[in-house]
Amino acid sequence: MMRFEPPSRREYIRDQKMRQGRRVFGVFPAQYPKEILWALNILPVEIWDPPVKTTRADAHLQPYICSVVRSGLELVLQGKCDDLDGFLFPHTCDSIQNLASIVNDYLGIEKPCYFFYHPKAHYGPSSRAYYLEQLRNFASTLGKRWGAVEPEELERSVSQGQQTASLVREAYDLRAAGTLGATNEEFYGVIRQGEFLHPDDFLPLMRNFLETSKGRSGSGSPVILSGVLPNPPELLRLLDELHVRVVEDDLLNCSRRLIVPPVSAADPFEVLTEQYFLMPPCSTREGSIQARLEYLFEKVERSGAKGVIFWIVKFCEPELFGVPQLVEEIKKKGLATLVLDSELHQGPSGQIRTRIEAFVEMMS
Amino acid sequence: MGRLKKARFHLMKDLGAPALMGLAALKKKKRPVKPKPQFGPLLRSSGRLREIMTRHYLLSRYAEGAKPVAWVTSGAPVEMLRPFDFYTVYPENHGALCGAQKMGAELCSAAEERGYHQDLCSYARIDLGVCFSGKTPVGRLPKPDLLFASNNICQTVMYWFEVLAYHYKIPIIIFDTPYNFEEIKEADIAYMVNQFKDMIPVLERISGKVFREEKFQEIIRIARETSFTWGEVLATMKADPAPMTIFDAFIHLAPVVSLRGLPVALDYYRLLLSELKDRVDKGIGALVHERKRLMWDNIAMWYKVRDFSNLFAEHGMNFVTATYTNAWAETTPHLKEGSPFESMAKAYSLIILNNNLNHRLSLMERLIREFRVDGVVIHSARSCKPYSVGQYDLKRLLMERLGLPSVVIEADIADPRAYSEEQAKTRLEAFFEVME
Ligand code: SF4
Ligand code: SF4
Repeated sequence: MMRFEPPSRREYIRDQKMRQGRRVFGVFPAQYPKEILWALNILPVEIWDPPVKTTRADAHLQPYICSVVRSGLELVLQGKCDDLDGFLFPHTCDSIQNLASIVNDYLGIEKPCYFFYHPKAHYGPSSRAYYLEQLRNFASTLGKRWGAVEPEELERSVSQGQQTASLVREAYDLRAAGTLGATNEEFYGVIRQGEFLHPDDFLPLMRNFLETSKGRSGSGSPVILSGVLPNPPELLRLLDELHVRVVEDDLLNCSRRLIVPPVSAADPFEVLTEQYFLMPPCSTREGSIQARLEYLFEKVERSGAKGVIFWIVKFCEPELFGVPQLVEEIKKKGLATLVLDSELHQGPSGQIRTRIEAFVEMMS
Repeated sequence: MGRLKKARFHLMKDLGAPALMGLAALKKKKRPVKPKPQFGPLLRSSGRLREIMTRHYLLSRYAEGAKPVAWVTSGAPVEMLRPFDFYTVYPENHGALCGAQKMGAELCSAAEERGYHQDLCSYARIDLGVCFSGKTPVGRLPKPDLLFASNNICQTVMYWFEVLAYHYKIPIIIFDTPYNFEEIKEADIAYMVNQFKDMIPVLERISGKVFREEKFQEIIRIARETSFTWGEVLATMKADPAPMTIFDAFIHLAPVVSLRGLPVALDYYRLLLSELKDRVDKGIGALVHERKRLMWDNIAMWYKVRDFSNLFAEHGMNFVTATYTNAWAETTPHLKEGSPFESMAKAYSLIILNNNLNHRLSLMERLIREFRVDGVVIHSARSCKPYSVGQYDLKRLLMERLGLPSVVIEADIADPRAYSEEQAKTRLEAFFEVME
């Protein structure tokens, strides 16, 4: 494939503000209706793993808090979000919840902070009605400050969201079928551009990626990657080097929120609601172990994966709880499993390398 | 439910349990506890509390197969289960008990051996450790028929109870309480009310019992009275000297958490309240010389309750209020028989841990004023992210706004391995110095 050079976030944000007249929001993990922001000409820029050295966040957070939250807060404290027009905190886990409140209530930050709650109970009629209402309320709350959401704009951004989902799905399908010529690093390098590019820019990028990458995948042991995010890049590079081919993933910031089946309805809010309830199971939403297992086995089935790597961000409760039962059941199916936990920016140690090598041997 | 098991349960309830407990009490009497000189007389009601909780756990062994058994989280609206006659077991309360009996590390390890990470909440690890090893200080826990969790205290309980649901292959109900980033919203209340309505047919199916409005209203009334009376119990500590310590309250909290909605809990708090009022009238304090009054933030360190109680007493310092014990007195007194679902939705979603940190700061400031607090001990509990994240800023703000000294102790609720005696000692010495 054509090697992809990502634009610098900082320059891209500046350009979006200056040339496109867009407002820019810093958005914390994980799931939120980005279409509503796009419709208001607000660019969501997601804050998952900013590469900052933590110096100030430690005065606000205990050592047992995950590095997604820690580095996100650090970014704010170092003034690296000063160009942003606001923040959005989706309700993902206890740590994000309290981080949202620290930023909104305790730090004296002048920027508007928004919160988006999505239902956690096992989905029933009440969850659906609530989610729909949440979307409408979110749009009207934002509308009070940033101008009302125009129906045509929302329709347009919902359609762009669907086009994005369809291209991402296609990339996943090709990869699972062994017909995508991209390394692990290249694949996630491209997919993750969607965390900050506007769909006007992300859609052509994805199309280009698909056009130039169609072909045979390299050889190597096929695995599924589960966890929060495929980070740091050194991990992906190591997997490439060891000929481990990620053929599917169960990552919170990738397939669990990006692989949405197509939905049609007259009202764009209804479309977003339907889509939400069709998302794959996730520990941070409706996440029964049974549903997660079925989802993983479906992925094994369609991709021929021989093993699952659980790549866990240290201290991530939502992920850590499910792992033992998932591992037990996956092993029963004769698949290899590997559980690794790591800080966000800690490249894989020698020990991790050895463990991955042993895991690869187990699969061969 | 088996007829034989039902009969056995009732036999134990009416005859077996009182007889066994009578014997246990006789044994106990042989070993009178001598209070340390810094403390006032022991609370007489404690004996009754022991009886109630021992009986509760004793009977729970016979409940399996005789009654539908539910495992419930501490913040869940248990009033919904009572009309269906569920025997309710509280893994968090049991976890605290295990922690206090110094079994925390052993049970956590049993879960860790099965792959549950040491970074997970220790109540959860203890509970899973009990499931895997069968060990518990209460003899045996009944296997649940239903799991009932609410994320008003944390999201952790959802993940934890999902693990239990898969382990036991039983249904789970999650009562989802949207976090109040700002004020509570109408849409949130409507969502919660709808969830209550959705639950009723599920509970009817699992329990085989029909929902009866009058019974439910009576339960709501008892639950409200219980929480209200618990609030009055805590309020006695406004007196100078306070008639009990927060370390006592940690123990006396058990009925309002795990037996709420049942007459036994209400009767107990009436008894305790009258004893405390009597002490206030007579000027009897929990400490003989109460020099300083403190507030505790976060859940107790169960394995350290006694040691801390002694240590602070030696310095003439009494804990007179805690955000933790206050949680069961704060919102549930607002339950209303006339609008049970709406009032439950508000009561359960407005509790401290489901509210933003500004709310927490104001609540603490109010308690500090009302209880005339001189200093705060902040337990940064490794297990509990919703309670702990934000405490460093709280400490700073309490100093900036009220000039109030505080100390942060890095520890855990039930796993003593996360506690460093050395570090705590250094920090506490500095705190005691500031307080003088
Ligand atoms: S890594 Fe886990 S704990 Fe951290 S923010 Fe993400 S979901 Fe929450
Ligand atoms: S200690 Fe905290 S995290 Fe653990 S169950 Fe209680 S509220 Fe949840």
